[in-house]
Amino acid sequence: MATIAGSLGRRREEEHEDPREHLMHDPLPRGEMNAMVMDSMHTTSWKFWTVAGFLAFLVLTCFFIAWGYMIANGLGVAGVNRPVYWGIFLANTVFWIGISHAGTFISAILRVLKIESRRPFTRAAELMTTFGLVQAGASIFMHMGRVWLSYWLFPYPNERGVWPNFHSPLMWDFLAINTYLLCSTMYLFLPLIPDLAMARDRSTGWRKIFYRTLSLGFRGTEGEWKNLTTAMNIFAFAIIPVMFSVHTIVSWDFAMAMRPGWSSTVFGPYFVIGALHSGMAAVAIVLFFIHTTMKNMKYFIRAEHFNTIGMLMLLVSMAWAYFYFNDYLVPWYGGDKWNKLVQEFAEKGPLAPLWYIMLFCNVAVPWLILWNKKWRQTPWLLAITGILINVGMWLERYIIIPEGLSINRMPFTWRLYFPRVEVFLTIGTISLFILLYMLASRIIPLVPVWEVQEGQEVHMLRRIGRAEVPTLSELE
Amino acid sequence: MPEPTTSTLLAVFEDVDPAANAVEKLHELGLTDDRINVISGIPIQGRVLGRPGALTNVPRIGFLGAALGMALGIFLAYGTPYLYPLPVGGQPIFPVPMGWIVTFEMTMLGLMGFSFLGLFVDSGFPAYTPMQYVPEISDGRIAILFSYPTEDQQKFIDAMKNAGAESVAPAEARHL
Repeated sequence: MATIAGSLGRRREEEHEDPREHLMHDPLPRGEMNAMVMDSMHTTSWKFWTVAGFLAFLVLTCFFIAWGYMIANGLGVAGVNRPVYWGIFLANTVFWIGISHAGTFISAILRVLKIESRRPFTRAAELMTTFGLVQAGASIFMHMGRVWLSYWLFPYPNERGVWPNFHSPLMWDFLAINTYLLCSTMYLFLPLIPDLAMARDRSTGWRKIFYRTLSLGFRGTEGEWKNLTTAMNIFAFAIIPVMFSVHTIVSWDFAMAMRPGWSSTVFGPYFVIGALHSGMAAVAIVLFFIHTTMKNMKYFIRAEHFNTIGMLMLLVSMAWAYFYFNDYLVPWYGGDKWNKLVQEFAEKGPLAPLWYIMLFCNVAVPWLILWNKKWRQTPWLLAITGILINVGMWLERYIIIPEGLSINRMPFTWRLYFPRVEVFLTIGTISLFILLYMLASRIIPLVPVWEVQEGQEVHMLRRIGRAEVPTLSELE
Repeated sequence: MPEPTTSTLLAVFEDVDPAANAVEKLHELGLTDDRINVISGIPIQGRVLGRPGALTNVPRIGFLGAALGMALGIFLAYGTPYLYPLPVGGQPIFPVPMGWIVTFEMTMLGLMGFSFLGLFVDSGFPAYTPMQYVPEISDGRIAILFSYPTEDQQKFIDAMKNAGAESVAPAEARHL
């Protein structure tokens, strides 16, 4: 009996966490944290430049040359043709907009909810928003084919006085994506200003000029802080509905059409949760690389942060499964001939393996792995889960768009879609995203040091009975 | 009677507590809050330092932007069909529900765009002229910048040192 009790006691002791393992309870002097972040930006190994060089080669060939080839020869070099006029380009657009949602979700929603573990990785997530939207925009331009006529989308009348059609979901998309791109870029910049000022104070040469210009003369006076934090609060609240609206409107590009498989009232929230699913998973991947490859980042990005992301991924995965089941069950139960045909084509058709891989990656993998705290806190395992979820989410968009278009109410037009130049352009956008992120990590402080210090100032350990417990002052 | 000449001092503190004590001392020496400014590497509320909270016009400017954005959205959604009517799929020329979408997006763009501009306007950004500042502030130090009657210089320097200032020196404008 005593042995069992002793064993249980030891186990409880092992389970007890030292609060100092948490970043907020393990403070360092601000100057030291500044030096660590600056050092992480300045320390660049040959491996970094090798990877960057390879990615630059991929961007040159798969993005610029492939796109130039398509512009010179027309959309005929792509695989899109009747009845699949919307191919991988639009699957990529939806995918990248989804990736972009994570930055806003983590930065804005977690800020509004005052979830403290967000502090060190908000910037890393916000950067994904901006660079993800760049890829989404590029994918739309690729889809246009005649990209030089893209200005037709702009809201002004042509020479005949005809305005763009604001009744069209595509026009709503244009306005929503541009609003989101502009606002999320501003939202990225606002909390960056104090860190740019910090970098300005610790730099020389061209970096000094760069940071001095971008920090706008910020010193940290009471008025400047008040203006900055007020603007950040406005953005945090206002950008959340914009985030929801963007992917809802993207879903309406499909749902507003009377197509089997697309015309669904649940598409709006289903797309939003799908966006968060891929976005959260992408944050896990990015955090893994920052944690593993960048100097000094192990101090800032800790097991607790992977745990937070892992829990969010699990929660979002469950929500995604719920919405997917809704979207699946209602047409299945309704028994409409064409809707059933589309469902059966996905489950039993020539591309059925994609459907099963999608469900495995989006549901089975996160549910099997992320329930376990120890596994959630294992960075490489979380990153692999993130990669698989993103594979699953990309396949989901592929199944909805080009595969869904292969089947319609006119069987004589049925045709499978085989991507051609799109494959290279997809590789190009992925490479461009990673390259932009890598280069940004050399000049932008990826950790918002002032926010970390602010968090450390308001957190403290207080002894209650025999335990030291974390407490938080309410200063905001 | 001529106004007494004033000078400006910059006192640097390691932590919030001595900085708050220093503000109290300055009040005791007769300085009003409008002659004191606190510069710090993180936002510190006025009440922590025993000072009134700073005022901001950012929300006002933001809401002005929201109103302008909403007006633009209403024009795009409901005005442009009037300029060139486009019948679409049996819908009315001015369909109310879908006009909300464009109006919402433009309102939010106006709100956030003008809040961003409001930060620039209210803070005087960008400012590349020489300013009173020391780089230690971004390393976590707290600086108190205040103007005082020049004849009482020693009294103010002593008060700051007694409050725990790491350094007290005449404030010099420098390029950041």
